[in-house]
Amino acid sequence: MRTLATTPHLKVTASLNSLHRTPCLTNNTTQTDDDGSNTLRLYLACIRNTLDAALCLQNFPCQEVERHNKPEVELKTSPELLLNPILICRNEAEKCLIETSINSLRISLKVKQADELENILTKKFLRFLSMRAEAFQVLRRKPVQGYDISFLITNYHCEEMQKHKLIDFIVQFMEDIDKEISELKMSVNTRGRLVATEFLKQFV
Amino acid sequence: MACFERASPSLKKILLQLYRADKPIEIDHHLHEFGSVEYHVQSSLSDPQHAYLSISTPLLSQGDLLSYGLSHYSMEMVKAISLDVVEIVQPAKEGYQLTLRLNLSKIPRGKDSMKVISEISMVQATILSSQLKEMLWTVNSEDTFQGMCKPIKLVYHPRETFYVIKQPLKIAAVFPMRFKEHSDVIIATAFLQELTDVGSSKKWAKVPPCCWAPIPPPELRGEPFEDLSTNGGFVTFDIYPRHIEGKRLDKTVWSLLNFYAYVKYHVKTLQGPNLGEDEQTEKVQGNARCSCVGKSVQLPKFKMLKRKYGDFTRKIKKLRFRIKIHGFRRFRQRWLTIPKFSSSMGYTKLD
Repeated sequence: MRTLATTPHLKVTASLNSLHRTPCLTNNTTQTDDDGSNTLRLYLACIRNTLDAALCLQNFPCQEVERHNKPEVELKTSPELLLNPILICRNEAEKCLIETSINSLRISLKVKQADELENILTKKFLRFLSMRAEAFQVLRRKPVQGYDISFLITNYHCEEMQKHKLIDFIVQFMEDIDKEISELKMSVNTRGRLVATEFLKQFV
Repeated sequence: MACFERASPSLKKILLQLYRADKPIEIDHHLHEFGSVEYHVQSSLSDPQHAYLSISTPLLSQGDLLSYGLSHYSMEMVKAISLDVVEIVQPAKEGYQLTLRLNLSKIPRGKDSMKVISEISMVQATILSSQLKEMLWTVNSEDTFQGMCKPIKLVYHPRETFYVIKQPLKIAAVFPMRFKEHSDVIIATAFLQELTDVGSSKKWAKVPPCCWAPIPPPELRGEPFEDLSTNGGFVTFDIYPRHIEGKRLDKTVWSLLNFYAYVKYHVKTLQGPNLGEDEQTEKVQGNARCSCVGKSVQLPKFKMLKRKYGDFTRKIKKLRFRIKIHGFRRFRQRWLTIPKFSSSMGYTKLD
């Protein structure tokens, strides 16, 4: 693993040997703290490009057990079938781990949680999604340790679906999740304000 | 535990049933509310004009001094519900603190009947309010230090104590906030901060000023450590004489008695629409007697919050709809019905 590009908010570590295409980041990119949307754009672009490069999966039967075909990224039985994991960080709180193998790819996301309220909202919301994982096909029921949500894409998914649409889905998901958590937080506070108003009305 | 609506809906329903019955009916109902309030309604065919209502309720007590009976003031307040209809039976039925004989024939006809029956159904709220009113009046003014009285600890429920502190110009009601779950603490903290913000705005200048602090207010200095250890901080309401003048006394007392219930209801309602379980929660809450907050729960914001979860999952699902590839409709349809993951694409043994 080595550092490909480092900016104050963006750090990408990857192995060049394992991927045909590397994340498209310029070393000269400079970002300031208040330029959040720009860092998000870069972060998502980096993930998109990394996924584009990493999603070259093929059917590969299990080497250990005859007549079995399992996602190697989960079992990790044969090191030669695994590629080096890639960690893309927007900041300490937001990061994305992409683990690739010959027949499967696992992408784990850590979603921004600015305060405790966002933390519980994120937990509840992502738990809700994970419980309905079958509706999303590529969603893992349990996230990888240290992350909030994980997806597992196999060669079968790539055969059934279009690769760029799968990538779009992941990126769109990442874009929406932040937005939704912020809106949920706002709703909780708005409701709190309305309930407080109702309570105070009782005194009048 | 106090609740938002003063009248007990189930008690009201039974009393209305008795009142509206064409023929004398025999009733022997035991009603339990909030786990600690119990009503016993009795009516016999032999005496159809009278019904007996017994009530057992936890009483508001001052710290370790437990109240074993109703005070004279509380009795007077209960009698005042309707002098013609309500008569206190002495001694009360065994196991209950108060037994009332209701003279059904004296209940006025027409619209007034509803009013009287509603007031009888409020008997528990009347008892509780009268106790707090009495305590506020009889704050021991001799036990003072630098013009401040020693805090009075009021216990209604072991986990829901609050303090009343008489000061030269005001009475401070301090609520230590305790919650079992960490997530409750976070939601409640957000709510209490909103309450403080709203209460401090000019629009609400008439209501008692309230403030929230994570540490105990200085007035509680000297109180036992276990009483001051909270996870949700302390809410203080400053009650000035103008807040307890005339009819406002009743509103203020009731609001203070309901404060814990209000906060907990808000917290649980937010926990309730727990991503998919919202309908069930709403149904359960609808059955509970909390119509006052029910109004606030009809808030569009609440519904918005409830919908939000559903919308988002739908939105994510719709991501697949966005795939607009000409001539690939069948492919799209197949993609959308993928819940057959295990059968269509699952890892199966190779033949």
